[in-house]
Amino acid sequence: MYRRVLTALLRATLRLDVAINRVYPTDLNPLYYTGGLANLFLFVLVLSGIFIFFYYVPSLAGAHESIRYLTEQVPYGGLIRGIHRYAADGFIIAALLHLFRNWFTDRYLFSRDSPWISGMFLLFFGGFVGVTGYILVWDVRGLTVLAIFNDLLKAIPLAGQFLADLLTGGQGLSEGTLPRILLLHVGPASMLYVLLGWHYVRLRHPKVWPPATWVLVCVGLVTLASAVLPAVSSTPAEPGVSPAAIPLDVFFLLPFWLAGYLPALAVVVLVAALFAIGYVIPYVARETPQEMGPRDPGVAQVIDGNCTGCELCYYDCPYNAIVMVASPYQGLSRAAQSRKLLAVVLDSRCVECGICIGACPFEALELPGMLESEITQRAAAAVQA
Amino acid sequence: MSTTPQMQTATPASGRAPKVVGLVCDWAVGTTELADAAGRLRAHPSVTIIRVPCSGFIRPSWLEDTLKAGADGVFVVGCPYGDCLNREGNYLMRERVDQLQRRLARRKIPAERLAMLAYGLHDVDAFLAEVAAFLKRLEALVPPAAPARPAAPRPAQTASQPVQTEEGA
Repeated sequence: MYRRVLTALLRATLRLDVAINRVYPTDLNPLYYTGGLANLFLFVLVLSGIFIFFYYVPSLAGAHESIRYLTEQVPYGGLIRGIHRYAADGFIIAALLHLFRNWFTDRYLFSRDSPWISGMFLLFFGGFVGVTGYILVWDVRGLTVLAIFNDLLKAIPLAGQFLADLLTGGQGLSEGTLPRILLLHVGPASMLYVLLGWHYVRLRHPKVWPPATWVLVCVGLVTLASAVLPAVSSTPAEPGVSPAAIPLDVFFLLPFWLAGYLPALAVVVLVAALFAIGYVIPYVARETPQEMGPRDPGVAQVIDGNCTGCELCYYDCPYNAIVMVASPYQGLSRAAQSRKLLAVVLDSRCVECGICIGACPFEALELPGMLESEITQRAAAAVQA
Repeated sequence: MSTTPQMQTATPASGRAPKVVGLVCDWAVGTTELADAAGRLRAHPSVTIIRVPCSGFIRPSWLEDTLKAGADGVFVVGCPYGDCLNREGNYLMRERVDQLQRRLARRKIPAERLAMLAYGLHDVDAFLAEVAAFLKRLEALVPPAAPARPAAPRPAQTASQPVQTEEGA
């Protein structure tokens, strides 16, 4: 069932690509750059966030007033605040598109689990940073979000009360609360870059940045949205104000919206379950090895005697799965007689794509499931026929 | 749509359809419905498809050897540029094909006998049209001197022709 649905989704995703490729040249298809777009929005968030940080006062009495001052008195302050607000939506949209696209197109297979797992962490902390950002505005909505967050944390068995106190800095609100929330906004946001390092570490040339056209379009869209629909605070938060109907942001605050309809524990379990499923995805293959056929030809093998240590496979492997080591002995072929280096494939990083085979002019690499002799024999048979 | 008329004109011109081997990335254009068990395209039986894990897997020497072994043309199909599952496979292959074409040209082998294509899973129609166009381009190359156009070639002649063309290649 799961596999059939996923196959249908794979076909639908690529069908969508066909439609988009009619509009844009394939090099500019935005769906090929969802990861780069998320990274772009994150960069915009960091720049605008640093600007806002200069003006923010993390105190119960001053927080809302400092945001008002930023929006109304500081030149371009309101614009930059809106950019910060809408770039956050852009980040989550791009990240979710990135997640679903890579899920549906099998980009989690074999040793691609490392980018996938780090990606789930990025999504989790990205969402958390967004939620603390809403609290920092310190209007009625922020206070409501904090209250619901408190309830959700308290619903966690055993550790709940401890986590809730950790969030607000002791029982209930105090002057320690907002500095703590500010730390929980800026700290995890900085940590996203550490996680991005993990996200990229196994990729040789990750597409970290979208094409210039899309950089301009996205920055322009965010600026335009900020100018047309300025980000505004609702009334200042005062303990005692009843959390009336607040407009909720679907991208960040979905669990908080759900908390109005479901028991807190159910929401916590739901969110935990969604992330747990996310961590399992790369380990449940869509197809059996038989169905994969040429797509599962086994980990590349170095043919020791032919390797000349030329490093061509090392430069072309897109997953840094090949390392060059000092050759402990000379090779067998004439070209390999005086080699200084030897290529070694790290099984745990190989995704069985075979790009190293195409890079090697010395016949020193093979995929066990698809030998060179098999290809050349089939080609020869086709020519003879 | 345009494939059938092209084939009809192509076959009699040289007396035989150009033999073509296509190496196709298994993530790229879907050919299960297009080809028989041996990999021959139903629309163009002289074209044989071999599925490979990624277009970047193809060693350029295989393409060269296949041409030397008597194939009239060889093509590689990767995913649309930008959509390679391994990010770089089709870009790398495009560069390798470019290099091989320059190498072939230095040896007086027409570089048009080698082609790098990029079609996604659903681009079946565009892929077939491009294959037909490729066959048509080969068609112009296959007979070194073909005044056979006015007189319809007899079936007996077709058997001897390939040997001559391969010398030329």
